[in-house]
Amino acid sequence: MFKKHWFAYAALWCSGLITILACLGIVLFLVVKGAHAISWQFLFTDPQPSMNEALSGGILTPLIGTILLTTLGIVCALPWAGATAIYLAEYAGENQFVNALRTGIDVLAGVPTIVFAIFGLAVFTLPQMAMFSTIVEGVQNAQAFGRSFLVAAITMAAMVLPFVIKSIEEAIRSVPPSYKEASYALGASKWSTISCVLLPAARAGIITGVILGIGRIAGDTAIIWLCLGGSMNMGGQQPWWMPQHWVSTLQHTGSTLTSYVYFSSPAGEGNSPGKAFGAGLVLVAIILLLNAIVSYLGRFSNIKEDQ
Amino acid sequence: MKKNSDLTAALATATPTTANTVTSAWRLKQFKEKAIEYLLATFTVMSAVLIFFIMYFVIRRALPVFQASGIGFIFRGGWDAQFMTSWQAPADQPSWIFGALPLVMGTIYTTVGALLIAIPLGLGCAIFLVEMCPSWLRVPLTTTVRLLAAIPSVIYGLVGLIVVVPVIAHTLISNQMAMNMIDIAALDGTSILAGMIVLSIMIGPIFIALSSDALRAVPRSYKEAAFALGISQWRTILKVMLPVARQGIIAGAILATGRAIGEAIALSMVSGGVASLPDFQHGLVFFLEPVRTLASAIVNNSEGMLVPTCESALFACATLLLLSSVALSVMATWVSGMVRKGVQRHV
Repeated sequence: MFKKHWFAYAALWCSGLITILACLGIVLFLVVKGAHAISWQFLFTDPQPSMNEALSGGILTPLIGTILLTTLGIVCALPWAGATAIYLAEYAGENQFVNALRTGIDVLAGVPTIVFAIFGLAVFTLPQMAMFSTIVEGVQNAQAFGRSFLVAAITMAAMVLPFVIKSIEEAIRSVPPSYKEASYALGASKWSTISCVLLPAARAGIITGVILGIGRIAGDTAIIWLCLGGSMNMGGQQPWWMPQHWVSTLQHTGSTLTSYVYFSSPAGEGNSPGKAFGAGLVLVAIILLLNAIVSYLGRFSNIKEDQ
Repeated sequence: MKKNSDLTAALATATPTTANTVTSAWRLKQFKEKAIEYLLATFTVMSAVLIFFIMYFVIRRALPVFQASGIGFIFRGGWDAQFMTSWQAPADQPSWIFGALPLVMGTIYTTVGALLIAIPLGLGCAIFLVEMCPSWLRVPLTTTVRLLAAIPSVIYGLVGLIVVVPVIAHTLISNQMAMNMIDIAALDGTSILAGMIVLSIMIGPIFIALSSDALRAVPRSYKEAAFALGISQWRTILKVMLPVARQGIIAGAILATGRAIGEAIALSMVSGGVASLPDFQHGLVFFLEPVRTLASAIVNNSEGMLVPTCESALFACATLLLLSSVALSVMATWVSGMVRKGVQRHV
């Protein structure tokens, strides 16, 4: 049997091994190229506008930008996605209207991020949306600038929405029906059952969904490039970390690790590949860590089967 | 035990304090329940109509270019020259005519090329994973597939630019070849081929995940029946497993296509920045010519946003991307809906 189709078996083994090797190759290449760039100084200095790789500084503001943007993005997305997921899992039945809603959300999951990015720009350059970014005062028919942390965070929230909805809905559905029945038997109302029984029981799944969303936000470049601008440092009033300047920082441009990698790669203006690999390594490390947390949580789901 | 005490505590707080008699407190509670339901429904409807909201905003901005260029937007070339003309045009004589044929064809070439690499390889990997993977290799392989799906696209672009592009430039492009092509495009390694390779690694994981799900969903009895008839493992895979899982695999391929069409950053890094139309008549050099896709044009030309005509042209590109991704998603839902019905019929 084996001899007859040896070629097919060899091809199957090869395709499996190629997949593993491609992944290992990429990660190892990043580590080899990026490890020597990483130092405390690299992590804790601001990027400097210099073509000289030795003088172009570190990744402090991109790193903080990534953390700030993922936090803001997930804070915008979570209530919205949570409400939708609860409705779809618990209230919505099975009918044409609900199917149409589900299709709408599924279609949203397939929209490329670059389209989300340009959509965000179209909405937030409207003069009525000027509070989210900046606008030149006193000019007739002026458009808002449309690029800021707030704009990027809201656009990111729309982008991750379908994925977060899906994983939260699955988490809620995987709670055994006996939990719900017990709660109803005690006379609890539907909302009390959801908020006090279902959501706590599904919390591992909900956290998984949130982490997946964070990973997607941290890894996206197209939305950052169009909606956060291409500047490497914080664009608001300096120094940006002073509490009285926080609002200004949020309304101005900035950078994240992904836009730093793009900017520093040979394709961008910075052209310092060493720095790009260092920042890329930090980014991949963050994403691998998030994935590790997800698989750890998956192993310790706190739902018990009916005894 | 701890979990059970958690549950008891949760249930205790969930127990209503008022008796279920028709009192004003009870009515208030009913009202609250209804209000919460409607609030949640509002959020759900908002999530679902977001796609129409996106369509409205993107298409509205693209409309002037579509009106001026008509169907020629898809069938005419000359993007770079038109972009320069519109960029430099005086404000009172805007030039709204654009032709995005090179971008459309660039998108199609890179996507089809990536599918040609990713589908055989991904299908092989999925069959390997489901049917013949030794148990010690299963965990590394699934972890790998998940990691490949999680790595950001800019990293693929960076690695592609530093590794794949120079390899192509040094091994496949000779000086003579570059001299012959100098009038058409500079051959520096950023090419369709580089785009195909990078894109295929990016869409591979999605396809592997979805098609291995489809293969796993094939009822066990089918395989047992085939083995009982004395059919070899390979023929069982080929004649039983793959035909039954066909629709799931097709749905996976459609979703992977959607991902490939929309990829912007990685392709703008590795496939070159020239909106020229590669010509099949150049023979195999075709694969070494630079292209630009619809998505990467939006990134590369984003400084054009300052001029209304250029901005509208970029929105027109986004419209094409949006409509094709919506069409692909609907197609995938439709195909996998057929799968669900098919499984119900079989079981």
